[in-house]
Amino acid sequence: MKQQIIMFQLNGEPLEIYADPAESLLAILREKLGLYGTKAGCGKGECGACTVLVDDQAQNSCLIPAGKVQGRRVETIENLSRGDVVHPIQEAFVEKGAVQCGFCSPGMIMSAYALLKSSPQPAPEDVKTAISGNLCRCSGYKQIEEAVLCAGDKMKNRES
Amino acid sequence: MSYLYPSSLEEALGILRDGSGRARVIAGATDIFLQRLPHSLVDLTALPALSGIKEESGLITIGAAVTHSQAAASPVILAGAQALAEGCARVGSPQIRNAGTLGGNIVNAAPAADAAVALAALGARARIVDIKGLTREEAVEDLYRTHNRSLVDSSSEILVELIIKSCGINEGSAFTRFAARNALALPLVNAAAAVKVENGLVKEARLVVAPVKPAPTRLQRAEEMLIGMPVNRETRLAVEKAAASEVEVRSSLLRCSARYRLHLVGVLVGRALETAAQRAQQRKRGNDS
Amino acid sequence: MIRSITAPDPKQAPASGCFPGIDYDQNPEVWAKAAGRAVYGTDLKMPGMLYGKILRSPCPHARIKKIDTAAAEAMPGVRAVLTGEGLGCKPFGIVVDDELPLAVDRVRYIGDEVACVAAVDLQTAERAVQSIRVEYEELPAVFSPAEALEENAPQLHRDFPGNVAWQRNISRGDSEAAFREADHVVENTFTVPAVHPTYLEPISCVAESDRCDGLVLHTALQSPDSVRAIVAKVLELPLSRVRVIGPVMGGGFGGRVYGNLKLYILSSLLAMKTGWPVKMQLTREEEFTVGRPMIAAELKMKMALRSDGTILAREAEIITDNGAYSAQAPWVSNTISERNDSVYRIPAVKTGVRLVYTNKVPTGQYRAYGNQAANFATESLIDMAAKKLGIDPLDLRLKNCIREGDVSVHGLQINRCALDECLKAAAKKIGWDRKKAGRGYGLSAAIHANGSLIFNKKFRGAAAQARLELDGRVTVFTGEQDYGQGAHAAFARIAAKALGLNPDLITVQSRDTMHSPYSLGALAMRQTTIGGKAVQLAAENLKEKIVQLAVSLSGEPATMENGVVRGSSGMVFDLAAIAYDYHSQTSGLSLLGEGKYVPEKSDYDDSGYGNISVTYSFAAHAAEVEIDRDTGALTVHRIVAAHDSGRIVNQVSARGQVYGGITQGLGMSCYEGYLFETGRVANASLADYKIPTALDIPEIEEIFIENEDPAGPYGAKGLGEIVMVPVLGAIANAVADAAGEWVTDLPITAEKIYQAMAGWECQ
Ligand SMILES: Cc1cc2nc3c(=O)[nH]c(=O)nc-3n(C[C@H](O)[C@H](O)[C@H](O)COP(=O)(O)OP(=O)(O)OC[C@H]3O[C@@H](n4cnc5c(N)ncnc54)[C@H](O)[C@@H]3O)c2cc1C
Ligand code: FES
Ligand code: FES
Repeated sequence: MKQQIIMFQLNGEPLEIYADPAESLLAILREKLGLYGTKAGCGKGECGACTVLVDDQAQNSCLIPAGKVQGRRVETIENLSRGDVVHPIQEAFVEKGAVQCGFCSPGMIMSAYALLKSSPQPAPEDVKTAISGNLCRCSGYKQIEEAVLCAGDKMKNRES
Repeated sequence: MSYLYPSSLEEALGILRDGSGRARVIAGATDIFLQRLPHSLVDLTALPALSGIKEESGLITIGAAVTHSQAAASPVILAGAQALAEGCARVGSPQIRNAGTLGGNIVNAAPAADAAVALAALGARARIVDIKGLTREEAVEDLYRTHNRSLVDSSSEILVELIIKSCGINEGSAFTRFAARNALALPLVNAAAAVKVENGLVKEARLVVAPVKPAPTRLQRAEEMLIGMPVNRETRLAVEKAAASEVEVRSSLLRCSARYRLHLVGVLVGRALETAAQRAQQRKRGNDS
Repeated sequence: MIRSITAPDPKQAPASGCFPGIDYDQNPEVWAKAAGRAVYGTDLKMPGMLYGKILRSPCPHARIKKIDTAAAEAMPGVRAVLTGEGLGCKPFGIVVDDELPLAVDRVRYIGDEVACVAAVDLQTAERAVQSIRVEYEELPAVFSPAEALEENAPQLHRDFPGNVAWQRNISRGDSEAAFREADHVVENTFTVPAVHPTYLEPISCVAESDRCDGLVLHTALQSPDSVRAIVAKVLELPLSRVRVIGPVMGGGFGGRVYGNLKLYILSSLLAMKTGWPVKMQLTREEEFTVGRPMIAAELKMKMALRSDGTILAREAEIITDNGAYSAQAPWVSNTISERNDSVYRIPAVKTGVRLVYTNKVPTGQYRAYGNQAANFATESLIDMAAKKLGIDPLDLRLKNCIREGDVSVHGLQINRCALDECLKAAAKKIGWDRKKAGRGYGLSAAIHANGSLIFNKKFRGAAAQARLELDGRVTVFTGEQDYGQGAHAAFARIAAKALGLNPDLITVQSRDTMHSPYSLGALAMRQTTIGGKAVQLAAENLKEKIVQLAVSLSGEPATMENGVVRGSSGMVFDLAAIAYDYHSQTSGLSLLGEGKYVPEKSDYDDSGYGNISVTYSFAAHAAEVEIDRDTGALTVHRIVAAHDSGRIVNQVSARGQVYGGITQGLGMSCYEGYLFETGRVANASLADYKIPTALDIPEIEEIFIENEDPAGPYGAKGLGEIVMVPVLGAIANAVADAAGEWVTDLPITAEKIYQAMAGWECQ
């Protein structure tokens, strides 16, 4: 498709890009914007490695035509840490051993982030469902689930 | 022309009209984005006419751009069209459910689309407008041309909303599916039932299974057989038998053999029926108390 | 509460009993991964980089009559087009030399490499590849070993008549007599499909050529030194001019020991031709259609027993499906054929194994090397025997299982072994004595080699270096790779323990063949046992040197304890000062500790008898399952995993290995397997090749029986591969217990369970 101007909010900042609206958001993030934190495992919605938040909801960026984010809020893994300071979810992932090869981790963390935004103290079953669109071949998911629950606690403690 | 954001239904129809077949609507993009893309795309997700879920005088209206996540969590749908909430909750993954829409699920015309199967059992009607401004209303299961081809032409027609009679006293619905894993898996078979039960006897029934034909398939013989029957184990077994006898299914290397699929059709219809009937009876009790 | 990436709070997680430091993987890279900042192979981009794409055969078997590349060559943006003709490369392989970088006159499977292109971007490269016209003359093809072994079957490779790529007959003891004298014989045929490691990151590489015989390959490998040697040989480059640098690896599981050699060779050829870096990457579909799955196998097996349950002999006839080219399939076939015989005291064994060419995707290896496939067969057979003899499956196993001090039927020396304890512990925890109604229970036992002595009979060990840096920190150089299993964190802990330092002060380096000691790589669970031992020795050597230097500096006796160097007068030496002093004295050298661990030579003989490994790990798993009798749907509720992997270096990482390995075992048991339609992979996507999701995982309970093994560093040995092995048998046996019928064909799907219960004829 012909390139066009697409305006959206990326990681808290307004952004205007000139791009093919039929290109995937994943490709735009990685190839055009240099944000390689979002990973590509399949390009077809089948692995979740490319998960980002669009208006606070977890979505597969490989299935989003760039045109679709016009006027929306997009958040990627790069927005969760600042310099040396990482997000409690990331901290919990490392401490609980939820990061092995780490290729699923950015997507996994974004799914966890979306869950904790809408339900700060999730039940273990909710955690399983929330990450069920994110394949992980290394971990067997157990330590990831522990990490998400632990992150919920960390975030609560941080607020209080 | 390219990627377009109409702000009203009329504007969207106007773009399709001007596109003369080269423009197509796009909703959640989960299906269309992996297919060959048209010259231009008309994004429907921001249109007020296609958003929202509301209930008025016993009718539930669901915008075609409502996502599976929204439908699965909607109090209106959970109360009045439980099978749909259950079907939507089982689609793909959270990410897919956050993007994919009910309209897309129907118009994409996959034979075992979860929302479409539930909608067909609930007797949902789809309101469709075309570029000439004509509006029609059709049963969801009547919108299929052939395998993976809808009768809704998304370059000249827009599915606007779905209308379901809200579940009343003595009525209940349920959805069930059987898949090779618990997420990110298309079903080997899915089934949904909606019934009305009075004094322990079935008064009305709609039973739907897929994939059998291109469209979600009503089990007419089993439905007829059910009328006037008590809801018990024998009836369920009879329905399982009847269901398996009135459909033909295909073997597929990726999913299962025809014989097993046929067996699943019976079991799943039976289970959907049983749950729907239980719910119908609970609704009565609930109202009594 | 926010913590810095560089300084994790050691108070958060307590340390394992015997090792210093916090108990999760503290490699700084882990923080980078969580932050989305780690650079994987697929993320690499270089100035001037071109993109390569491969044209693949659409035919399962055909003669190439003509290739016309004119249109591709004329396309703007295309920088190079290569075909097999004129490359002049000799056939290469890992075990058997049967592959060429690009097909010369014949293609042997759908996906075979025919031509390749380098262009300025991926789209151009794809269009260029599509524009290449190839005329094929289709040849008759064979899609199963049975077809391939027929008398007049089409022959795939001239040098391998009868389509047999490799075979072996093993005979130990007098199995014929044993079968004659046995009270009972059980037998069955088991089938296992090809399975893919399914690491989440597809394989990619960037090749850079410096135009003076030099080549740098940027790709993440479990065995970079082995790949480097093959690439140098195929391209006829001096070995020292080929360098492999590893970005972060998105999962390996055996699939990245050699990775995808064709990709590395072709991108190198394109880089050498164009003078620019060339990136190539497999799509997910290519991962399945041309990546290297583990071989499918058919195992016909029988076992002779006495009425009291004593196993007398085992015989097996095994056929493995090689696909069109061999890769590591001979080794995997070998493991399938014999490893399981050493789980029990079996006096006599007779096995024939044949690896057969077919016109399908070539095969490679996967975590545990086929040991898990054989576990499914052998352990099912054990339970069949238990049922026939009326003996409890636990008792039958305890009666026969291998024990400390044994030499197994194939000559494996079992010096340290807690298999019986593992069996008892797993059975106890699953509730073997108080089984719940409506549930099925299964047990399974396994052995796995730990640091192969025979993979390369001359090169058996590992080396490492520990360098004291000018700031008093220590850098460990190893050839062993970390791909998320926590190897480097474990090495840091091992070195920390040897030096008495905090692991935070130790950095582990491995990813560059130019600087790292040579290593056989992450395979055969040699990392912890052999690689870790070398690190221990290097660190100890460094410690000695530090103390020596302190002695010569102060002229008094000195010691190093808890990381503090102290002279006899009580004087304390700063490590940085020692490093600096040495550095000045020698005009720039660093204080370097070296460690080499050279395990004793094996007595392994030509018949394949003898000790194959430094030591062995053991495990027993127990499964609790439930079956929906209406549909055959299987729910695996619990897996208990009891492991004897010696001392556990890092509890958090070890648990991660157990959960991940069991999940892969569950996948192979119940979900995974290649499906073919006349040679074409029918399920070449993550939607159709189903690996378990978070909603499919049972409760997993791990038990570590920390039976220290002197062969490994501080008594530790390998865990990463064996975790996947016993799951298969445990699930198969639990399913049989619940269903009353056996499913002998993996994966154990609901349909197969239902068929077995309903007594349907299999189609
Ligand atoms: C990984 C994955 C897993 C999936 N799993 C499931 C599953 O388990 N069950 C299931 O049922 N589906 C599944 N799907 C399919 C898909 O997500 C659903 O069918 C979804 O509901 C499609 O909606 P959409 O809004 O994304 O459609 P789009 O992709 O936007 O559109 C699909 C088609 O419908 C047309 N269209 C959309 N809206 C309208 C409208 N209002 N009027 C006219 N035409 C319209 C479009 O032009 C297009 O032709 C899966 C998909 C993926 C990628
Ligand atoms: S890359 Fe988007 S879901 Fe796999
Ligand atoms: S950590 Fe490797 S895929 Fe999840």
